[in-house]
Amino acid sequence: MDARFDPHAGLWRRLLADPWFVIGASLAAVLALLILLSPWLSLHDPHDMSHVPFAPPSGSHWLGVNDGGMDMFAELLAGLRNTLAFGLITGTAGLALGILVGLTSAWFRGWADQILMRLADLLLAIPAVMILILLAAFYRPSPWVLALVLALLAWPTSARLIRSQALGLRNQPHIAAARQMGGSNAYVIGRHMMPELFPLYLIAFAAKVRMAVFMEASLSFLGLFDPTRKSLGRTISDALPFYYLDIWWYWMLPPILLLTLLIMAFTFLAVSLERFFDPRLRAAWAG
Amino acid sequence: MGRLSVRELSVTYRAEDHRLTALDRVDLDLHPGRVVALVGESGSGKSTLGKALLGLLPDSAAVSGRILLDEGDLSGLDERRWNALRWQKISMLFQDAAGSLNPVHRVRDQVAEPVRMHRGLSSADAGIRADAALAAVGLDPSLGTRFPHELSGGELQRALLAMAMILGPEFVVLDEPTAALDSGTKGRIGRWIRQAADAGTGILLITHDLELAVALADEVHVLYLGQVLETLPGPELLTSPGHPYSLASSRSVAGLDTHRDLGGVRGDALYRVLHRHPGGNGEAAEHAHLVGSALSHAECHLPARGCLFAPRCTQGVAECSVEEPELEESHGRRIRCLRGGIVTELRLQGVAKRYGEIHALHPSDLELRAGETVCLVGESGSGKTTLALMAAGMLGPDQGERIFRGRAMESWLRQDRQFFARHVGVVQQHPARAVSHRFTVFEIVAEPLRIQEPRLGREVLHERVIGALHDVNLAREPEFLQRYPHELNLGALQRVCIARALITGPSLLIADEPTSALDPGVQAKVLKRLLELQIEKGLTLLMVTHDLGLARKVADRIGVMQAGFIVEIGPAVRVLNHPEHPYTRSLLRSPFRSESARPARAAMEGGHSWTEPPSEEPCSSTN
Repeated sequence: MDARFDPHAGLWRRLLADPWFVIGASLAAVLALLILLSPWLSLHDPHDMSHVPFAPPSGSHWLGVNDGGMDMFAELLAGLRNTLAFGLITGTAGLALGILVGLTSAWFRGWADQILMRLADLLLAIPAVMILILLAAFYRPSPWVLALVLALLAWPTSARLIRSQALGLRNQPHIAAARQMGGSNAYVIGRHMMPELFPLYLIAFAAKVRMAVFMEASLSFLGLFDPTRKSLGRTISDALPFYYLDIWWYWMLPPILLLTLLIMAFTFLAVSLERFFDPRLRAAWAG
Repeated sequence: MGRLSVRELSVTYRAEDHRLTALDRVDLDLHPGRVVALVGESGSGKSTLGKALLGLLPDSAAVSGRILLDEGDLSGLDERRWNALRWQKISMLFQDAAGSLNPVHRVRDQVAEPVRMHRGLSSADAGIRADAALAAVGLDPSLGTRFPHELSGGELQRALLAMAMILGPEFVVLDEPTAALDSGTKGRIGRWIRQAADAGTGILLITHDLELAVALADEVHVLYLGQVLETLPGPELLTSPGHPYSLASSRSVAGLDTHRDLGGVRGDALYRVLHRHPGGNGEAAEHAHLVGSALSHAECHLPARGCLFAPRCTQGVAECSVEEPELEESHGRRIRCLRGGIVTELRLQGVAKRYGEIHALHPSDLELRAGETVCLVGESGSGKTTLALMAAGMLGPDQGERIFRGRAMESWLRQDRQFFARHVGVVQQHPARAVSHRFTVFEIVAEPLRIQEPRLGREVLHERVIGALHDVNLAREPEFLQRYPHELNLGALQRVCIARALITGPSLLIADEPTSALDPGVQAKVLKRLLELQIEKGLTLLMVTHDLGLARKVADRIGVMQAGFIVEIGPAVRVLNHPEHPYTRSLLRSPFRSESARPARAAMEGGHSWTEPPSEEPCSSTN
């Protein structure tokens, strides 16, 4: 489509002028590139235990070798990938649930709204981390299941955000017009309400991914995942027993740094997008 | 006192290969002192009825039914008996005044002729009577000495009136007494007719001039193809016609009182013809046809039974072409329509809405009849929009009932939302907010069709969208179709909204300030198109506007709203010319009206606030 017809034409320009967005997006892009290029970047299989344990960084092992004889750089990239994947799955599933519940609640109001919002209150009161720890400890489910469970527990915040905006949207003349034309509930929600709130989804998604990344790192740090599964948290916890050795700068620091950068990337994106799309600042955006 | 009654009168003219039905079971009563008007378009049988009352039908006319004078049957009278009645009991003023006078005789002699014939008076005495009669109709008796061609049309017409009245008949048939006369002469003749009636003469006024009929008649019969479609008290013909034909006819009146743009009856005038076709077994079978008038020779087969007006009616249903309606009595009038006359499209009864402490609308009634335009006028916040949204089914009232086509609106919305949506088009206030900014022009206009006819092919959809845009005078270039709302000016966007509302071919259009953002030239075109749709398809219009001038041009009825009340509602002619409510009167004293331009300027200098553009309605009323 011709860019001239894009109603958001000015948006990208303004986003690119925002340092928060630029930093967050660059970080995310670099990390994504690292993951995508990992087959070519790392010279070793992360599960290969045939290297010399505790070997310091060298031309072959850029970040040295751990106590199990595994290449640290390969391990780091695999961990980053798994951690981010966990975050993205939770983010996507949580957002999808949030949109579904938020729009349904706002559109139908009445008893459907009541039930869904009380359920949201209930979930908000439950500490997600406890549920996940208990689940992981007793049932040892796969990380994907845990990611989905986390999404099931984490939708209420985005659902409430979307619902509050959708309630206002509901009375917009063009939504009323679509309804008057005979549009079904599904049609009006899908064709009119959903695209209208698009910016909110970005905010909710970034926040969810950040939360899930942190959660995954914590759970793996606590050793609640399969010990052979690579994860940034796991790498940090593996390094801890050897704090007395002079390994912290190539073993401990890189995963902490990567985790921090990952969380930072999504935090910065969330902050920036929120600034642009927050309903209270929406007027500036719409104009 | 006497009475002239027509009962079940049918007249058919025989021609070589067909028969023409001129009158079909007409009932009519003339009473002394009353004016009964017979209106209808050319070929409706008006004059035939007049001639029948005087036994003047040609031999080719087959007559059935009875004509009763004081309970005595006139049908079958011989020429001698008729002659005794004519001029004395019943007289007639023929259409085409100049043609009915003999050009070689002086006017006075011709006016005196009935006296000489019936009273056997000498020429001199008869002449004196003639002078008196001429004076009675306001003609200088000296004009009587002239020849017909030396008199003006109005003078001739009055001379003929004098002639018709010279023997003091009980009943007079006036066939187009004012055709082709200027308004001054018309007014004088009108006054004279009324005076004659008040003096005790029973008058049958045959005319196609509805205004004259309304002004003079106590009772009006609307004749169509030889049938009476409606009988109603005279004054109501223009203000509350009951038959679709009467409504369409009433819109064709270019009176000085009416402001609405001229409408008309859709289609062409027709004639009823019975064709004789040789049947297979040698027997001749007759088939009824409606034949178009001179311009269009389109012939349509008339079903054996069925409403004669059906081919031109805008509210016809299937049974209209199957079943023949009878003239039925209702509410002080008689209507020949299977649907009981003009149907009520939408009725709001006692609907009210309040937001917290604010009464957006106090319990109000509004009725929309098929094919009429109702305008709601009033200032911002008077509840116009609230009422319109309720009528559109977009806002539920706190109390009151809404009936669309005889069924509660709630039931439509619950069970037949699609049908309701297809038949009710809505143009919302604020076009920029009424469309999704994510849709292109094409998507906006196509949306109702896509919702209601999801299986419609891309080609057809495209065609319909283009047609709808054409209706509102918008560009049809592919490039335009791909535009987004924010790239259009408000006027174009408003027309896109109107196109969207019309694309499904609704029977009811509810429009809230539909032309507020349009240039005057475009506004005129769009409104004209809406009125055209009204004539062709019987579109019912509910229009909200703060522009009284606009309402004046389009409305059949005007409702004036103030502070959540309908303070006055009625025929546009009455509301505009004889406003009852003080608020209406104040609206009509708009400072911009040209005849009061000077006070306006004075007010402006005095710093009155009316120069400010009307502010937007509070959001609460649009929710």
